[in-house]
Amino acid sequence: MAEQREIWVFSEKPALLAELIAGAKTLGGRRVAAWVVGARSSAAQALTQGADRAAWLGDTGGERLVEDYVPTLAQQVQAGAPAVLLIGSTRRGRAVAGRLAARLDNTVLTDVLEFQSEGGDLLIRHMIFGGGAVRVEKALAQPVIATVGSGVFAPLPPAAAAQGEMVEVPFVEPEWRARLIERKPRPPAAVNLAAARKVICAGRGLARQEDLAMINELARALGAEVACTRPLAEGLNWLPRERYIGISGATIKPDLYFGVGVSGQAQHIIGMNRSKVVVALNKDSSAPIFQQADYGVVGDLYAILPALVQAIKARP
Amino acid sequence: MNIIVCVKFTPDAGDIQVNSDGSISLERAEWGIGSFDLQAVEAGARLAEATGGKVMALSAGPRQINHSKLKKDLLSRGPDELYLVVDDALQDAGTAATARVLAGAIGKLGPFDLVLCGEGSADLYFQQVGLQLGEMLGLPTLNAIRKIETAADGLRVERDLDDEIEVLAVPMPAVLAVTTDVHEPRLPTMKEILKAGKKPVTEWTLADLGLSGGLAKHSAVVSIRAPHQVQRKNIRIEGSPEEAAQALVGYLNKEGLI
Repeated sequence: MAEQREIWVFSEKPALLAELIAGAKTLGGRRVAAWVVGARSSAAQALTQGADRAAWLGDTGGERLVEDYVPTLAQQVQAGAPAVLLIGSTRRGRAVAGRLAARLDNTVLTDVLEFQSEGGDLLIRHMIFGGGAVRVEKALAQPVIATVGSGVFAPLPPAAAAQGEMVEVPFVEPEWRARLIERKPRPPAAVNLAAARKVICAGRGLARQEDLAMINELARALGAEVACTRPLAEGLNWLPRERYIGISGATIKPDLYFGVGVSGQAQHIIGMNRSKVVVALNKDSSAPIFQQADYGVVGDLYAILPALVQAIKARP
Repeated sequence: MNIIVCVKFTPDAGDIQVNSDGSISLERAEWGIGSFDLQAVEAGARLAEATGGKVMALSAGPRQINHSKLKKDLLSRGPDELYLVVDDALQDAGTAATARVLAGAIGKLGPFDLVLCGEGSADLYFQQVGLQLGEMLGLPTLNAIRKIETAADGLRVERDLDDEIEVLAVPMPAVLAVTTDVHEPRLPTMKEILKAGKKPVTEWTLADLGLSGGLAKHSAVVSIRAPHQVQRKNIRIEGSPEEAAQALVGYLNKEGLI
């Protein structure tokens, strides 16, 4: 009997790798091999996190980029013929996945939210149209290469002792390399919207940047963080990028989302529709946000916001 | 520098109609330049202006993209020439097939120094085509580029990763996918809009690229549905500003939010 093909997982982020290992174990009881770039201890750690086998690609040593391992990985995939290859959906992970797929005359199923086996076929679910639709696809290629973001699978509790084996994989020199000049810390985010329990979101209904003062005042009164829609962060530049909610921005699930002058475009809705309570204030009664709202106030934000702040402050 | 900018024309996802059975329709959607591609166009235009050279815009898609308004819109934003691959088979093409078509078209375009793409398409946002295209062309390929400068030995770029910024020297020709931070897209001037109508547009079919045998299919779409809606209370609050404020405070209090 031919040995059953493995599921391989790869991520340069150890925490995401642990999630991928756990996810891979739910896909039909196949052996799971973790491919690790970085410290040797990370490869050993993958074994305690549920991998049956760890393949250590080596450390970048500050010289190589993670992406420089694409030719190495391609050679290994061709030789090892895994059934599925899951890659952590970071920006680096996407680059590795795409280049690897092109080398293997394959494709990448991106940002998969769910896998489902159906009569020998593997179906995947992911979002398109900025969250406006869910697309289910049947994988036709071998191996199935998919990217998976953090939070889709929960890591397994670590085992006390590793059971699996570890192998070292020789590096294949790439045809080209980008030369690393400098690494800079990303400017620290001033806000972590994902952690906020209450969020006030400003939209295009605001006429001027100065009017954000009213939003800030409401946020203070409610103890909320301030967020915005994409146009306010990209284009108008009234607020920093990390404050915008949407498919390409932050995804939040606070206890309270309060949209002020937000119309509710599909790409914004995907970022906020898991909020527990949704309040919308908009002068246009046909704004799509109202369909997503628990409480909808149709009216002029310039009249209602001051009244609302006053009413909150007037509470005993 | 001669620069190729790849652009996807897409239907506006904001115009999605959800049918009563949960399926969706884009028939009434307006088409436009992908909102993540505008920045790539701008980056290409600026580099060409600064270094001398031309910008060739390239797009592949179904017949809807072969529309004078779309072509003019793109050409009014800096590109000198436009190349379109038009075939209805491209409507549902996967990222690998799209990259293959673009690679085929680039093979016909003559010498270039740089290929720019947006980070992802405005409709599907799979963020893959630029990466796969670069690898197919066998060129240095990077995504998440937020800054591009010319240097003596190629390009110097800043790459915006999830937790750090990487500054890299990249040899040319290269393929780069840029983030929306790279440049604010320009608003076309009246002069540019008038000029756009006179710029050359070349149209190709898949057969012109030697791809009439069909496109590789690595996955099959099973269904496209509107996402499951969270049930909302949909309570409308009306009245004077003071009445509405009072009513809302009452509800927020009941929800335990204040």
